[in-house]
Amino acid sequence: MAGRFRWAVAVAILVPAAAHAETPRAQPDGKALFSQKCGMCHRKGGMGTVLLARRIDPAQAELEKRTDLAPDYVVAAVRSGIGNMPRVPRGELGDADLDVIACYLSIKPAGPKAR
Amino acid sequence: MARQIPSAAQLARALKAFGGVVGAGAVFADEPDRASYSDHFAPDEARHAPAGAVAPGSAEEVRAIVRLANDHRVPLWPISRGKNFGYGGPAPVLRGSIVLDLSRLKAIEVDEENGTVLLEPGVGFFDLYDHLRARNIPLWLSVPGNSWGSVAGNALDRGVGYTSYGDHAARICGMEVVLPDGDLVRTGMGAMARSPNWQLYKPGFGPSWDTLFCQSNFGIVTKLGMWLMPEPESMLGFDFEFDRPDDLGWVVDTLAALRREGIIQQSPSIGNWLRAAAVMTTRDQWTDKPGTLAESVIDAIRKRFNIGWWSVQTRFYGPLEMTEATARVVQKAFAGKPVLSTKPARWVRGDAAEGSPMTGVPVTFPLANANWHGGRGGHIGYSPVLPAKGDLAMAQFRRTYARYAEFGMDYHASFSMGERSLTNVNQILYNKDDPAMMGRVDGMFRALVADAAAERYGEYRTHIEYMDLVADTYDFNDHALRRLNERVKDALDPNGVIAPGKSGIWPAAWREGR
Repeated sequence: MAGRFRWAVAVAILVPAAAHAETPRAQPDGKALFSQKCGMCHRKGGMGTVLLARRIDPAQAELEKRTDLAPDYVVAAVRSGIGNMPRVPRGELGDADLDVIACYLSIKPAGPKAR
Repeated sequence: MARQIPSAAQLARALKAFGGVVGAGAVFADEPDRASYSDHFAPDEARHAPAGAVAPGSAEEVRAIVRLANDHRVPLWPISRGKNFGYGGPAPVLRGSIVLDLSRLKAIEVDEENGTVLLEPGVGFFDLYDHLRARNIPLWLSVPGNSWGSVAGNALDRGVGYTSYGDHAARICGMEVVLPDGDLVRTGMGAMARSPNWQLYKPGFGPSWDTLFCQSNFGIVTKLGMWLMPEPESMLGFDFEFDRPDDLGWVVDTLAALRREGIIQQSPSIGNWLRAAAVMTTRDQWTDKPGTLAESVIDAIRKRFNIGWWSVQTRFYGPLEMTEATARVVQKAFAGKPVLSTKPARWVRGDAAEGSPMTGVPVTFPLANANWHGGRGGHIGYSPVLPAKGDLAMAQFRRTYARYAEFGMDYHASFSMGERSLTNVNQILYNKDDPAMMGRVDGMFRALVADAAAERYGEYRTHIEYMDLVADTYDFNDHALRRLNERVKDALDPNGVIAPGKSGIWPAAWREGR
């Protein structure tokens, strides 16, 4: 369990309000699967976004805004872990679903209209 | 410690048999699979490496696997979602156990009118949150600081949250459990088939079993009933900052009285300056000197975040008439005391979402504190329980602070106020890529447990590596509670197939190595 800390500071800076809840989960498409399986950390205010903003252009810290992700790279990061990201087991995210997510993240429309 | 673990052939036969139940696609035993079910925060993952994993899709499949585990004499390590970071994640106590991954069990049944939910262990806090919001159901969650994990798993491990429903185990109402012989039982009113009261009345008739499945290895919970907080009309509160380390004593005494009287109904957590700094920044932004942080660095951190040496947030939930009255009482309790600053918090229905765990919104960003040292980070939780008394809290703080300094680690702690007790939650942050630092963590942890035990304080929860160490401190009448636990264990699980070693409870077959 991550411990408690001072929310006021964090909320003011990160504003995570319901950022993960924006996509309905009925459709097993890439965006919905990403939201369901990855969104808690890799959308606005998530742990992954916070940490990536330290390492890359903060404007691309949310994975859905990245333009440089190849499917193999996504799969490797998920299965092997990267930095502070733990490995995601196949019981939680099967290979077929991971492939859909990897394709979704790599086939991004270029330019500002992404998302 | 050298415990006999099942042979590779025995494990292979068991995994093949499991595949017959769940399909080969839900058995995971490649090297990358084993790594993915290891504890990624652990200094040495191999100490608790699993032999593989199996992911059933229904309670019936869980029952079938448990029966096969008995046939093949292989130990299972059930996990809900395996995100209990700092306590072992998905990894088993006993190396070579097979992880029983319940993350595919994701059913949610909400009873909106009664404010209850019946959920399966694979349901995460985000899943339940999205389920409620998508249907505009006006019920709030209570979430832990890392909300990636399972609602049921967190409650069963006695996790805590921030609202007045924050004592998660206390909100459990009724379970469905697969016993170690494959039998299926429902607790409380669920013991009566089709009872409408399963999620409404906790005790049932005769002995109550719910708490026996918390932090234990007596069964596998496949459904868990919980009470959820009806969305209140308002949430008010204060963020208090305090300037000096010594303020902890009077703050504890002030809050303890408010908790005892039920004025404050959530668990305010009094935390030090590193809580914010470790999530928002990395250590190298402040200093390049090893060892515990200098006063000048602490001052700089406090200045940057405009926080005290200690900070605490109190929150009150309910109709505005009541929360405003509560705010006045709390303000009066702090009046005339050396508060550095007071910032009111206010959310009233109709306002924009407040967006934090204080209103039950799940988050993961606090996990960023694992990056405090840079590199591949992690932390281990040390959380002894003590009386809610200011002088004892100060003594605990000084003792523990000295240990951090002795071992050259950065002090990262909070004191969480229960109704009658205080839990001193420490997250010892470390860098797995710093061998010198990693070499100090084990010694520091053992010293801290010994310090607490000398005061007769025990931990409320611990990492898989230290379950025996902590269980040893519960020593009344030569460990009579452990004897009782293990008599129950042997009666329910004679082959010792469910989670050997959980909470220091070993089945007869594995007890030898203790």
